[in-house]
Amino acid sequence: MLHDERTTTTIDRDTFTITFRRTLGAPRELVFEAWTSAEHVVHWWDPSGVRLAECAIDLRLGGRFRFANAGHAHSPPFEGEYTKIDAPSELQFLAMGAAGTVRLEVAGTGTSMTVTIRCANAEHLAKFVELGVADGTARTLENLAAHLAR
Amino acid sequence: MNDAHLDRAFAALADPTRRAILARLALGEATVSELAAPFGLAQPTISKHLIVLEEAGLIRQRRDAQRRPRELVVGGPLEEVDRWLAPFREQWERRLDGLDAYLRTLAPAPSPPPKKRKKPTPPTP
Repeated sequence: MLHDERTTTTIDRDTFTITFRRTLGAPRELVFEAWTSAEHVVHWWDPSGVRLAECAIDLRLGGRFRFANAGHAHSPPFEGEYTKIDAPSELQFLAMGAAGTVRLEVAGTGTSMTVTIRCANAEHLAKFVELGVADGTARTLENLAAHLAR
Repeated sequence: MNDAHLDRAFAALADPTRRAILARLALGEATVSELAAPFGLAQPTISKHLIVLEEAGLIRQRRDAQRRPRELVVGGPLEEVDRWLAPFREQWERRLDGLDAYLRTLAPAPSPPPKKRKKPTPPTP
């Protein structure tokens, strides 16, 4: 298979930032389009894999977006505004008290994607976590120690 | 969940020296002088960091009159912070997995462009 399975997640408690890195098989232009056009976003945004009930995108600087699933009550819609649009390499947005950055680099026939979510502070992070989340598995203290030691 | 508690833990974790101290203590208890040496810091400086970590409930002093070693508090706010980040992280990981899967349905088999071949194919025996 051509797809590279390398995926990493880094948590930096210093800056309340979580960084996800992935290598995707699709070309960069398509990945950028998948992030910025409603017809694509409806298919993949919801973590449970369900198609979004509502997806509105106004792709311009300061333009707003709103992604909502059918079960609103449990997970409020994800909404915010675009703060940087540099197709096809970078997208930045502000949403739910956090700043998101999507960076795309060409990697062979595919794309290397880095998604960074930076929360303004611990309180915002707490709120962000509350949104649409079931209970997660706690990582062990050993994992955490290894992480802190990095 | 106690937010003030978590805020203190986050504040304590926001310093690289304190994170390094925690990483050291995760390997086992240590005294102030044992902690001071590898960091090249004076004992009073280390002590200040230890106070912040203690007040955040991340570490504690073991009752051992002579050495007074510090140890990690197991199941303390450190685990709470992590437990609290885990769902957020998992949600985004699932979302990005979804993107990956979706993109594959669009472009199932990207074949390398045949024209721009840089390396000549080695002759087959």
